[in-house]
Amino acid sequence: MKRNDKFKPFARTGVIAGAAAFTLALSACNAAGPQAQSTPTDVSFGPTTSEAAGKIDSFTWMITQEPATFDLDIDSATAENTIMSNVCERLMQLQPDLTTTPHLAEKAEWTSDTTVVFTLRKDVTFHDGTPMTADDVLWSMQRHAAKGADESDEYANVTDMAKTGDNQITVTLKQRDAIFLQAMAGNGGIVLNRKVVEAQGANYGSPSAPDACSGPLKLGKWSAGSNITLTKAADYWDADSASLADTITFRWADDNAIVNALTSGEAQGAYLDSPATAGPLQKSRKVQIAQGPSTNVWSLIATERGALKDERIRQALSLALNRQGVTQAAFGGLAKPWKAPVGPGAWGYEEPTFSAAYEALAGAPAQPSNDDLEKAKKLVQEAGVPAEPIVVANSGDSIRNVISSALVEAAQKIGLKAEIVTIPRQQYGDFYSDASLRAQADLFSDEYYISKNDPVGFYKNGASTAKVNFVKFAGEGYDSKVKEAQATTDDAARAKLAIDLEKHWTDAMVWIPVAHTPATIAMSKDITGAPSSASFLYYPWAADVGSSKK
Amino acid sequence: MSSLSTPTLASTPVIGRKKRDVAYLVSLGFLLLVVAAALLAPWVAPYAANAVDFTAIWQAPGAGHLLGTDQVGQDLFSRLIHGARESLLGPLALLALATVFGVTIGTVAAWNGGWIDVVLARITDVMFAFPGLLFVVLVIAVFGKGPATAIVALALAYAPVIAKFTRSLALAEMTRPYVDAYRVQGVGGAFLCVRYIIPNLTPPLLGYLVVLFGEGLMSLATLSFLGFGAQPPSSEWGLMVQEGQSGIIQGHIWPTLVPGAAIAAVVVAVNVVGVRLSDRLNSRFER
Repeated sequence: MKRNDKFKPFARTGVIAGAAAFTLALSACNAAGPQAQSTPTDVSFGPTTSEAAGKIDSFTWMITQEPATFDLDIDSATAENTIMSNVCERLMQLQPDLTTTPHLAEKAEWTSDTTVVFTLRKDVTFHDGTPMTADDVLWSMQRHAAKGADESDEYANVTDMAKTGDNQITVTLKQRDAIFLQAMAGNGGIVLNRKVVEAQGANYGSPSAPDACSGPLKLGKWSAGSNITLTKAADYWDADSASLADTITFRWADDNAIVNALTSGEAQGAYLDSPATAGPLQKSRKVQIAQGPSTNVWSLIATERGALKDERIRQALSLALNRQGVTQAAFGGLAKPWKAPVGPGAWGYEEPTFSAAYEALAGAPAQPSNDDLEKAKKLVQEAGVPAEPIVVANSGDSIRNVISSALVEAAQKIGLKAEIVTIPRQQYGDFYSDASLRAQADLFSDEYYISKNDPVGFYKNGASTAKVNFVKFAGEGYDSKVKEAQATTDDAARAKLAIDLEKHWTDAMVWIPVAHTPATIAMSKDITGAPSSASFLYYPWAADVGSSKK
Repeated sequence: MSSLSTPTLASTPVIGRKKRDVAYLVSLGFLLLVVAAALLAPWVAPYAANAVDFTAIWQAPGAGHLLGTDQVGQDLFSRLIHGARESLLGPLALLALATVFGVTIGTVAAWNGGWIDVVLARITDVMFAFPGLLFVVLVIAVFGKGPATAIVALALAYAPVIAKFTRSLALAEMTRPYVDAYRVQGVGGAFLCVRYIIPNLTPPLLGYLVVLFGEGLMSLATLSFLGFGAQPPSSEWGLMVQEGQSGIIQGHIWPTLVPGAAIAAVVVAVNVVGVRLSDRLNSRFER
């Protein structure tokens, strides 16, 4: 009698061979060896890598996923921004050191408390050769401000926008808004060629559509599912900032494949999503690693679900969390334990003041001491042990695995029960918008960053009307302080207010900060020039990349 | 009825006839060891399955941690032992379910024949035509992920193969004289199937199920690896492989290698035991 072999849900032979091959392949492919450590040794830190010595024909750059669209009013995640920062330009421009300077607007001037006037450059041309006009600028700003547009929140305080001269746009706001000019260095300040966008209609942003921008590089070919090429804009209006490379090819792959592509020389660079990926690249003789300032911080974001509404439980968990352990385990030591919800890249003014205030913050130790744990236990006693276990969301990826495990460990240390719930990665982003999803977890971990070099840009998230203030935090006078800070254009005065907001936020531990992740770039030693800060999301970084040798 | 002689199992012991079958004995010994470790996990594991220790992350095998540690300093040996429970119970549960479905369908089809056989055969053919993994993923998409759904989904995927196998065995069994004898005496079909036919199918079916156990273990581990089965903080082996992945590019192979090797070793051992068992039981069944 023979076995029925016709149907094999998972063919046995293949399964065994696969399992064996898998385990063997793991051993064989591991060039670093089982004892290898990824502790950083020679990672430079600064806003840029060294200046390019000469031009280059082409290079290949890795990103982690294919862009969804090039219409940044529809979607603007890291993949889209990394590419389009080289193609589209803004009224203001974020610099590698994360300061903001006028760009397509040669001047931006507050003419009253609520009125800002942009004086536009006259020499800007789009990629199709047509000159940029004030009508294009006004139309672009109105498009960004439209309901549902990705950057519409940047225009929340705007009451009117008008063309007030051949090269002049006047914007009227409800109140003086110190952050508005910085927002114009982000995607809310992109100037589009109206004629091109309207001609493309709904097709604009798709693989077959041309770009409608004026940057040093223009869209070449988007081979859907394969790669995207940018080509040097032939007659770029700012000849001094023209691209050093003629062609740039973007390919996408997961972290493992990016490491392989860089070490094998198939690709020449990548901005790494996770600093942990830099660990194995440090061992390569062909690759250089650099880090730079960013505003990124991984935090445990408390939801309105239950126990975490009590700030004492949040404070207790923060005191017991082993941030040092998380940075080692999740980021190979290439991140820093952090005490605030926004990174030092946001200290774009009054940096020493912000730095000193940060150092004075308490309640978020790198490694909890016995005193911290005792304080935490006392807080739990005062608040009462929640009847239900604290639930922390995980998406199954490495970083969130570590953070959720650390949170469970912290909870156990101070007499709290905690458990992990896994939410699919594709659904994880819905935590910000879906209350029913938040009802499944008391905390979810996420990396949060802001596009402005101003902490006020983050701390507005603690206002009573803010969408991400899930625990209904209501610090005394917080809302009015946010408004006052937003309206204060004197840097010293605004820094003082921002620090006050920071103190309110961290005292209440609205979110539990975990680790600051600097921007991390990996690049072949044959090329150089790219900024190593988080500016690559908005600054035309690829234009600066050239040969490292003359 | 007692005067009727129904075929019984031969008296020869199933196990132990070939004393020099080293692979079989080693495999059996290994499996017994794994089962014992799973049963005694709380007593034999040196650490709790989810004990985090950030001072001991990514450690290679050594004195403190026999098989090393993972990304958050969890002891891999302890997780492996604790995870053996879920990793072994999962395929057991799925085979139990699949066997109930499959044997019922196969026996009913064989006994009734005619249109019932045709309809059941077509249904199982349709199941055969559908890729197993895709079917399981679809079930999980509808009912949600987790170990219970994965087990039920896989049981549904495995049931047709067991049904086909059972049907062919049952058809052969029905040609035996004792079946006609019982029929002549007016014994009902259901009673005859449950009391005599199905028990007589057990030996060859058992051997086949042991082999399927290995497939089931691998399939469940695959689903956990893909995020559809066991969920953190479980130490199910497929999930351990998935969680260890991030260490590979950093040069830390142990968190993936250890559970991966455990899966491979158990699957190989189960197959060696299953094939031997199947051969011996089949030869006696055919006699």
